[in-house]
Amino acid sequence: MSLDLNQATPEDIRERAAIDRSVRYPVLFFFTSAAAWLFVATLLGFLSGLKLRVPTLWEDCPWLGYSRLFPVHMLALVYGWAMQAGLGVMIWLMARLTRNELKNPVTVIVAGHLWNAGVAVAVITVWAGLGRSMPWLDFPVWVAPLLFIGYLMVTLWLIPMFRARRAGEVYVSEMYLIGAALWFPWIFATANLLVGDEGAATMSTGINAWYMSNLIYFWFAPVALASAYYLVPKIAGRPIHSYPLAQVGFWALAVLAGWTGFQRYVGGPFPAWIPAVSGAASIFIIVAVVAAGANFWFTLRGRQKLWEYSPTLRFTLFGVLMFLAYAVLSGVSSFFSLSQVLQFSHFVVGLDTLAVYGFFSMAAFGAIYYIVPRITGCEWPSPTLIRGHFWFSTYGIGTVVLTMLVGGFAQAGQMNQWDQAFVRSVEVANGWIVGRIVAWLLIAAANLGFFYQLALMFIGRGRRSAGPTLIHAEPGSVGSAEEAVALAGAGGHH
Amino acid sequence: MRNDLWRLFSWLGVAFGFPWLFLVLLPYVKQSSAAPVPYAESDEAGFVAYPDPNMVRAGASDYGAEIYRREGCAYCHTQMVRPTYAGPDMWRPGWGGREEEGLARETRPEDYIGEGYAQLGYQRIGPDLANVGTRLTDREKLHIQLYNPRANTHESIMPGFRHLYRLVPADGRDAALKLEGKFAPEEGFVVVPTPEAEALVDYLLSRRKDAKLPASIRPAVAEAAPAEAPAQ
Repeated sequence: MSLDLNQATPEDIRERAAIDRSVRYPVLFFFTSAAAWLFVATLLGFLSGLKLRVPTLWEDCPWLGYSRLFPVHMLALVYGWAMQAGLGVMIWLMARLTRNELKNPVTVIVAGHLWNAGVAVAVITVWAGLGRSMPWLDFPVWVAPLLFIGYLMVTLWLIPMFRARRAGEVYVSEMYLIGAALWFPWIFATANLLVGDEGAATMSTGINAWYMSNLIYFWFAPVALASAYYLVPKIAGRPIHSYPLAQVGFWALAVLAGWTGFQRYVGGPFPAWIPAVSGAASIFIIVAVVAAGANFWFTLRGRQKLWEYSPTLRFTLFGVLMFLAYAVLSGVSSFFSLSQVLQFSHFVVGLDTLAVYGFFSMAAFGAIYYIVPRITGCEWPSPTLIRGHFWFSTYGIGTVVLTMLVGGFAQAGQMNQWDQAFVRSVEVANGWIVGRIVAWLLIAAANLGFFYQLALMFIGRGRRSAGPTLIHAEPGSVGSAEEAVALAGAGGHH
Repeated sequence: MRNDLWRLFSWLGVAFGFPWLFLVLLPYVKQSSAAPVPYAESDEAGFVAYPDPNMVRAGASDYGAEIYRREGCAYCHTQMVRPTYAGPDMWRPGWGGREEEGLARETRPEDYIGEGYAQLGYQRIGPDLANVGTRLTDREKLHIQLYNPRANTHESIMPGFRHLYRLVPADGRDAALKLEGKFAPEEGFVVVPTPEAEALVDYLLSRRKDAKLPASIRPAVAEAAPAEAPAQ
């Protein structure tokens, strides 16, 4: 078992410190540049919402139209922030789980620059009018190799680490990481080779939708769950509740995720079995998410109060909860009775945002709050800013998702009144779009604080302390003696 | 230890390989070889095959398709009419094509042959465009819609694509957009479309899926839309 929860010996502590030192620069590079992209993405989210509500603003400038701002916002959010933060989490987690130092930090940093260059070129080309109206794949096809090679240069190092691990069973987090490392190049290459200007027309569009769903279930989900399966037992101070259940969840995801995606085009110009199979898979996959959620819940039983103090646990659990919400909503909305209302409404934006921000980003924040103090050797400067980050993010993402989900119902209800003018559905949606604009402002505020704290940590200006930064300053009111012990163990540098 | 890795890799590959092969690759390859469906003698269609390139790729509509993609039109407009079991699209006047001639129908894979990437769309913030070429046949009105949508529909939230048009001194030219009242350009100037705008309009006019289908792919029972749909 790689996840050793026994009292750490001095050798263990020295070894972990050496591992953390070896990954320090690449991981910090990924986290800080991801946070910068996140800030850009939130501003673009705000601007695109604003343009949707007030279309006459800056009408002469083609760069500031909704139909360019929105795809650019999604590209910055998915590739600039989410995937980049995920890469940082992957490296640190694999090094810790396999107890290996990273031998080639320089290659990984070079790869990080390549990835950032790829994201920047993708964003600028789409913004400048070379986009292709293909969600999450808008960039010109020659940008894809930059991202592809950058990705491989990072994740290939996970394989020798995995092979050089200590003897013993493979922990489920390692399986998720290996899965994510393998699946992303596969789906990314498939999507970029098949989806393009030539070839099968409607299958290309369907594969685009399949790619989005697979990126969520085959990359965001494995990375976030790998991190949660590592962090939740660490913070709870006890091993994961059921290892077989974790395995079941893993294999359910592995077997089902590849079938999802086409349900976005239920009733579309495809052989009818294709969206039907995708819809069924997106319903069954709820099992995989429930298995993980239940496992975390039972692991924390009697110690749930830890969530009030540990920023890591709070963000991670919120992310897992949102993953459950995403899986249920995307599964249920592929039933005909709901898809005929919600398909193509603002609900779609709500769902995509829920996956990328509500689920993955929150889980990644949880991991970052745990990792950064260990690799920099100082603690987060301000519990207030952490608290603000959590609540502004929660209210922000809650507002985006709720307004787009409920507003989507209202909009589509009008759209489906076929005997009245289409523009009624536009008018009904207008008010809900205001919610989306406000929400991205809240999220931008949250992440300004996050970026500021991360920058302080980066330059070594964090808090010097033996104890971790907890959300509430005095942990004296922790429920039980057992929780207090767990908390002290969870926070320390080991 | 080493075997562990390859065993895990193989199982992960199998788990993903199945949907990759059967859901993605094979249907894609099968559809890649799809050619326009020939009409039989008995169809009396007047065309060789469906879809007919002269119809769906008229004028500069290939270039127009590029402009459509570049401007991200598909983020707000779909080009997909769902069958009645999946949504009420067919009941909305004009969405399924020309009802009065009994040609209204849902979109089918054959409608997109030759397009490379079917612009099925991400959202429906604006109306579906699968058959816009049968609903809006007036070039001028389409240009005004692209230049300033509010001049056509007061409540529209579509952005005006000003950069596809030029404001030029009038000098007695007539190939200009007839913008009236508060939408009119300043005195002595007229708005003229660029070649990009003309191509985009060509493309929009080519968005019509109302040709009679060859008997080989025609559904056995064509479902008619309600007869007395109110005019928009």
